[in-house]
Parts: sequence; structure tokens; C-alpha cells
Amino acid sequence: MSSEQTAFATVDRGTATVAVALVGRVGARWRLLGSTAGPAGVPEEALLERLRARLAAADPSLAADLGLGSRGAAADIPRLACTTPPAPEIAVVAATQRVLDPLVAAASTAGWRVRPLVLDGAEILGVATALADPRVGAILAGASDPPGADERPLIADMGALVAAMTERRPDLVTVLAGGLAEPGGRIEGLFRPDRPGPTVLAPSPAAGGGEPLRSLLDSLRGGTQDGRRALVAATGTLADILQRRIEVVEIGQAGATRAAAAWTAGADAVPRVAIVPEAALLPRSFADGHLDGVMGWLTVPLDRLRVRDRLRDLALVPWGDAAGEGALLRLAAARAALERLVAATQSFDRYPGPDLVIAAGGAWNAVPGPVVALALADVLRRPGVRAAGLDHARLLAPLGTIEDVEERRSVMADLREDLLVPLGSVVMPAGLRPGRPAGRLVVRGAGGPAELALVPGGLELVDLPPGERAVVELELRDPVRLGLRTRHVTMEVAGGLGGLLVDLREVPLQLPERLERRREVLASWQAALWPEFEA
Amino acid sequence: MTEETAGMGDRAAAGWLDEVGVRRLLEDDLETHFPLPPGDRPLVEPGTAVLAGDPLLEHIRDRRIDEVEVHVADGARPIPGSRWAPVPGRRHRDREIEGELLAPVPGKGDRWRLVTGDHRVILPSPVAGVVTEVRPGAEIRVRPDGRALRGAFAAGSAARGRLELATDPFGELRPGGIDVGRAGSILVVGSRIDAEALTRARAMGVRGIVVATLPGKELRDFQASERRQRAALHAIPPFGVLALDGALRRSIAAPIMALLERFAGREVALLVDPPALIFEGADPAPADIDRAWVRIRSGPNAGLEGRLIGPAGLRRFEAGVHLESAFVELEDEPLLAVPLGDLERYA
Repeated sequence: MSSEQTAFATVDRGTATVAVALVGRVGARWRLLGSTAGPAGVPEEALLERLRARLAAADPSLAADLGLGSRGAAADIPRLACTTPPAPEIAVVAATQRVLDPLVAAASTAGWRVRPLVLDGAEILGVATALADPRVGAILAGASDPPGADERPLIADMGALVAAMTERRPDLVTVLAGGLAEPGGRIEGLFRPDRPGPTVLAPSPAAGGGEPLRSLLDSLRGGTQDGRRALVAATGTLADILQRRIEVVEIGQAGATRAAAAWTAGADAVPRVAIVPEAALLPRSFADGHLDGVMGWLTVPLDRLRVRDRLRDLALVPWGDAAGEGALLRLAAARAALERLVAATQSFDRYPGPDLVIAAGGAWNAVPGPVVALALADVLRRPGVRAAGLDHARLLAPLGTIEDVEERRSVMADLREDLLVPLGSVVMPAGLRPGRPAGRLVVRGAGGPAELALVPGGLELVDLPPGERAVVELELRDPVRLGLRTRHVTMEVAGGLGGLLVDLREVPLQLPERLERRREVLASWQAALWPEFEA
Repeated sequence: MTEETAGMGDRAAAGWLDEVGVRRLLEDDLETHFPLPPGDRPLVEPGTAVLAGDPLLEHIRDRRIDEVEVHVADGARPIPGSRWAPVPGRRHRDREIEGELLAPVPGKGDRWRLVTGDHRVILPSPVAGVVTEVRPGAEIRVRPDGRALRGAFAAGSAARGRLELATDPFGELRPGGIDVGRAGSILVVGSRIDAEALTRARAMGVRGIVVATLPGKELRDFQASERRQRAALHAIPPFGVLALDGALRRSIAAPIMALLERFAGREVALLVDPPALIFEGADPAPADIDRAWVRIRSGPNAGLEGRLIGPAGLRRFEAGVHLESAFVELEDEPLLAVPLGDLERYA
């Protein structure tokens, strides 16, 4: 953004919705002037004009100063735009299931929808038909390095089959990983060097915890101004600006992202990232298991067939039916998606927990903020103390498209107070002994001290509005895990729409098996944060 | 017009209607896909103009793999995906088989895997158009001559027939309401249909069903029935179902019903991938579509139709959810504020 610019727009175009925000220079800083969203088919110009008209009505002089006073004026301002297209499909093929699993794990966190294929015991015709499917945009074939005794007899067959597919479709991107990736080797020699599609030699999924292979596969997805890659870049920059450990969990209609970055003095934060199409709000592969996941988070009794039909319609019209029971259904689907995201990215738990968790993506947009805070606490079960925020205007991804790191840092630093809606803070100790009082908690905030007896298994809510901070003192009878093992801790927490959540439930969360009882438990937790919903 | 909505005409005239999603009634340049798995033989080439009923591909119903020895002229090499047949007049042929070369057998010299089968059927094109792409082992693409009404999803196979209206837009067709007199037709059956009625329609020679919604249970039952039918020894005629809106019950939208009424009695093609109805030689879309006419597509008032009066701004709806909304004027009803996301216009 040049210094002469007075306003710009951000556009985050997803598969379900398009989010638009208007940013203007107020005083010497960039400030968020407004944001809105609409169905993906709605032209962004219409949404921009909606924002411009509201700005002009609310503050005519500011609108005039920014050159946004007249109708259509917003159409010509610069835009930072990104797109999150539907995930492409990759066929992952290996000789045995043992070899396939790590390959699938790498590909499924690199933004690809995965079609797993094992040669051992499979019919060649079925494998060949799957590889030839026109929806498949790339093939990842891999072997152990060196190949194990169980896979050696099948490797030649696999090479011949994949090479034959590239002769049918010369433009097919082919990745040979691990034991197949010998430069100039027997397998690479099967592929015509003059075909238009590349044959890429890739590291084994065992190397570097799979990250080098994941990163390579992510880069092969293509797509300019990719919203999820941009979101990752913005996560790193935000960690630097706030000097905190940050984790972003983004749930969208066609995929999900988990990105974590930690500030390090004197160095740019390098985010860890996983882009997981299977953790989409409603993945294309939606099956009974996915439905069970959604049903498990519903707080109202809805017939299973009815839920399936409503979810089917939600997939067709993701922007519709957003109020009432539709909001509950959407929230249950978002929780289930977040569960899948966490399950697909367990390696993240090896690192210290974040100071700030940010919910991003269209799935959270129509749900009241406090409920989003609860949903994050329900699924992200890591002991510790953390703040929660919501990328309410979907600014992060478009800002991540600013290529120059310093410029991105400068713009985001200006907008740091506008980027996120504070959802509140969560205190989540683990290792509480059930059946007896665990201790007490004292909150010292602007309204004076408040004391709370800690009862294991409960969820306590302390009113702490956005913008307020409080000192929390936790005194426990037995040592618990709270990032570190301790009995007594004092820390400062930030307020938010959901206030302070003292989450004394089990880590991981234990919910009743029976759906009816489970619904009652979930509804009781939700009631305090979503009183408007008449269950 | 109420006091609340007074003065909104200017904004409406100025184009705020663009904030409401549009559903196009008739689309051009739609491209349909026909699966061509390894072994199936294309009978057309890119650029070929096909008429409805022209052979499109030869489908093998019992695909299997055989190994054959492939000898080619000096310097040449067999190409995966190409057709192979024994050299005529050769005395010691492996077997009398013909098929598609899949891949060489590693370590066995000139031996290749061949996809072949004994039971073959010719699949005719359900639609007239131009073949745009043929990818052996993958698909055939055809651009139909005509305009398309897109649906939400489809099941079964692409078919062709005479468009007939069996019920009104709100109706439901019961199995007893289908007889052989409907054979060869594509029936428009109103708001919903069950799997039993679908299978009866197929048995009576109906070629396709167009319905507003098809619940997931009925879809699954029908697909299971289709699989059983297709696995039978004798090939059955094509039969497809096109759901225009989704799974939850609602009527066919008035502008779409008007379109279907216009084309009743004419031959149409029902496509599965993408889900659509093709009106060949279709006239341009009716010019009198009211830009402000909307249908409430989802939410508690789903299925109702009316006119957009003006924007209602960010409003609080059930469960404390804040959504952008607009005022809709319904017949004999008070003005209703509806979330924009629940509305669809037609063009």
C-alpha cells in the first residue's frame, strides 16, 4: 500500500461465501471501516458498495476524506484479494498399507483431497481405473527407502502402471517419493522426459517428520493468491507483531487450515501448517462417519435422516439457513470439522501450546462470538491458559497476500486492534481429581475481586468484557497440568465476548455415549453462552 | 410499501439487488461428461457432431484384464490406452480377444495387460451436440446444442424423453400414479418423490424424473436399486433423476415451473454430470423475468415466493444470529424480513 493511498479493500473469496472489508487511513493509521459477506456468487462490487454506503451514512466527512463519499467510489480502490478454491484431488499409491499411511498423512495435510490406493491384494483394473479418473490431478507414488521386503515384488508393477497413466495423460503431475525417487533410477526412467507434466522426485514421508514432502505437495497444488497459503503468511506476521505464540484454526466449506507460529526475537516467525480438505465443514467424501461426528455435537434432538438432508442442503447452499436450528447445525458441523482437523494434525501437540487461538473461516461467521469461544474450548483440549479471537472480517488471508514482509507487518500492525474480535480467555487445567473440590480461583479485575470454588468437570464463566484485563490466581489442592505442572499460578488474562472460561472438564473431553444424555450435557454448557437459543 | 421501506426504491433501482444471489434459468456452454473407464471404446472423435441416439461409446459390462503379447513395427512402441486386436491371419494367436492396452507387464518382455470383456453394449448419446474431448480411460465430453437448466444433483444415468408434467409444482407422485402410458417420457413430478415411485417409473419405461427435492434416504434406496439393475445380465434402458433444489421438501420455483410448462411435450435430455436438463433448440429465456422476484430457498419460510422491496440491513434473527436481510412482499402476507442468504433471484 503506497503512502498516497487512503483506502483499500480486502476480498476473501471462498467456495461458499465472499467476505469483503473496507480499510481506510484514519489519522496516520490504517483502520478497519467495515466488513460484510455474501454468497460466493454475489459480485464483490455489490458488497463493497454496501460498505461504502454505510460508511457514508455513518461518517460522511470521513467517507469524503477517503474519497468514498459518492456512489461507486469504492469500485476503483485497490484490493487485496485471495481465493480459496476447492481442493484438487491426488491419487496416492503404494505397494502396501504400511507404506501408504505416511504418504496419505503428508498429502492430506498439504491441501489435496486424497484417493488412497494400495496394490497389495488389490485388483489392478480397479487401481488403474482410479488412477485414470479425470478428477485426479496428480499422482503420488511412494515406497520405503530402501524398499521393504513386502513391497519389492510390487514396485515394478506400480511403476509400470503409473508410467502408463502418464502416457494417457501426459500433463499429469507425478510425484515419486522415498524409495522410488532415485534420480535417473529404474522407476524414473519409465516416465517420458518430454511430456508436459512434471515428474517430481520427492523426499520420503519419514524425512523431517513428513514436512518436506508435505511442503512440496502443497507447492504443487498451484493457484495464485491462494487464501490458505496467505492465511499462513499472515499468521507468522501476526505472531511477530503480537510477540506471542499463535494458532489459527480455519474451517471453510472446502477445507480447513491449522497454522501455528511462535515469535522469536530477531527472527521472522516460521509457521507450522496443515491444510486439510477432509476437515472441511462438509467434505466431499461426507459419509456416515462424518454424520455421526455432527450428530455427536448437536444440542437439539433432530432425526438422523433429517440432519443428513439438512447437511446435504447446507452443502448445496452453504450461505443459507444460518439462523435458528440452522445455526446450531452449522456449529455442530464446525465442531466436528475442527475435531477432524485436530485429529489430522496431532504433530502440532508436540510443541508448546499457543497464547492465542484464532478462529477463522466462513464456518464461524454466522455464530455468536461467545459460542465460538466455547466450541474452541470443546475441541482444542490442551491444558493451559490462552486467549481466543475471531477473524471476524476475514482480513488475515487477504493481508497475507502482501508479498513484502515489512509492508505486511506495517499494515497489520496498524490494524492489530481491528483484526480480531476478542472472544475471551480460557483457563484449562488437566489432571484434576474428580469427586472433590479442586481449589479456588480469584479473579481481580476492574469490577473488584471475585472468588470461585473449583469443581472438577464443570465449566465456569466469569464476566470479563472485551477490552478488560484481569489477574487470575489459581490455588489448587493437588498439582495440575497447566502448561507446566503446578498447584499455584497467577496470570493476566484478557476479556472478550465470552468472558473468562474456567474449563475444569476432562482433558481430553469425556462425553456420554448415549446421544440424549450427551445432548443434555452439551446444551447445559452452551446455555450460559447462547441464552438466545431456545432449545 | 410501509414507512420502514419507503425510499428504498432508489437503492433498488441503483442495483442493491446484486447483493441477492442469482440463479440462472437457462445456461449456455454447458459441457457434459460421459465416463469412459479403461476398456470402454469411444465411438466418436473430438469435433464430431452427434445427434441424439448416435453411438457414443462401447461399454464393457464385464471388464477384466488379460495378458497378451504385443508386437509392433520396428521402432514403434505400444501406447497405453490404445486399442489392440490380434494380427489378422496370424496362425498362433494367444486368444480371440480385443481390448485396450493398459500397461506393460514388468519383466515379461512384450507382454502387456489388456482390458477386455465379453459383454459389450453401445451407449447412445442422449443429447445432440459436439464432442469436445475424448480421453481414453477417462471420459468423453460433449457440448450440447441447446440450453441447460441446472439442477442440484442427479442420480441414475443420462436419458432422453418427452417432457411431461405429472403433477403441479407442490405435488408428490405416488407409485400408483405411474403407468405404461408414461413410457418414454421425462416426468416433472412436483415437490418430491420416493424410491418406490422411482423404481416403478423405471419399470414402466419412464426415462427420467425431474423433481424439486429428493430426500437422502430415497436417493440411497434408488441408487442401490440402480446398482442391482445395472449388474443384471441384460442391459436396461437409461433412467435418470434430476433434483432441482436439494433434499428438503419444497415446491418447484414458479419461474422454473413456467419454463418446464413451456417445453412440455418436447424432447429433452436429462444429464447426470453435471446435473441438468437440456432443451435443444431452446428459445431465449423469457424476457419478462422480474429482477425483484425471489424465492425463499431455505429457512423457516422456505418455498415461499414474492417480490423484493428493499434492503433491511443487518438484523437479528432466531437464536441471536445477525444477518444481512431484505424485505420481501408475499401474497396476502405482511412484509417479511428475510436473510439475504436465504433468497434467490432468477435471471
